[in-house]
Amino acid sequence: MTDINFNIDKPDLPDEQINKHKDFKKLMHKYQTATKPLYKTPLYRYKNKRVFIIILLILLIMFIIIEVMEKKGEQPINPAIEEQTK
Amino acid sequence: MHYKIKNNKTQVNLHHKNDTALKREMQQVEAAKANPAQFDVLYENYFKSIFVFIYRRTGNEEVSADITSQVFLKALINIKKYEFKGVPFSAWLFRIAFNEINMYFRKNNANRIISLEQSNINQIVQEVQEEDNVQALERMIAALKQLDSDGIQLIELRFFEKRSFAEVGQIVGITENNAKVKVYRILDKLKKILQVNPKC
Repeated sequence: MTDINFNIDKPDLPDEQINKHKDFKKLMHKYQTATKPLYKTPLYRYKNKRVFIIILLILLIMFIIIEVMEKKGEQPINPAIEEQTK
Repeated sequence: MHYKIKNNKTQVNLHHKNDTALKREMQQVEAAKANPAQFDVLYENYFKSIFVFIYRRTGNEEVSADITSQVFLKALINIKKYEFKGVPFSAWLFRIAFNEINMYFRKNNANRIISLEQSNINQIVQEVQEEDNVQALERMIAALKQLDSDGIQLIELRFFEKRSFAEVGQIVGITENNAKVKVYRILDKLKKILQVNPKC
């Protein structure tokens, strides 16, 4: 059984009321936004902002890893070995 | 059980288009495929009918405006996939609208609304019952409420909006023959509901 409300002989909205919602320019704007290639869309304009946040997080983590690796590279591996070679 | 569509001569298909109109419409569709800005002609032609189609099912002006906008956006995005299948372009738009409305009801768990004129009910009463009677309208409304949403939508398209079976099939996404079979089954079901429960 379906929950249904019956409107019997209820008049439709007048044309002026319906035409208030007609806006082809707005439709074209939505169309252009929807069909714009992804690479042309700025990251922060993604509908799903999570994607933007995740990309930022990944970049941040990569930056931290690289920094740590570089610091490790600068430090001598073992000072005792260095002295022996001298 | 076989049903004949009564009053066939007086029944007017409001959605019928002649060959010239269909050809002209196809040219407009092809123009819109080549240049989306040319879609304005189709938008202008069908905005009202799509809006009314949605408004009669939702009963809410703002919701109807939102869904209508969504319908035309989807139509514009997918117009290159559109293929002529012997029914007017509007049938394709109505199909998108039909799916959007169903999605709206699924998401919002809102009550369906059926908008109809009393004469529509009289027609379906004639289809199902042997004789018309004074309480036929109320009984029929009670019986219609016992149908599932697919059934009620088919009845709505066929009897309340007076669409051809081809169009009903195109909108619902089934073949014309399948639409006929389903509508007759629903009429059968309505008749059984009325017989089992005379107070209905």
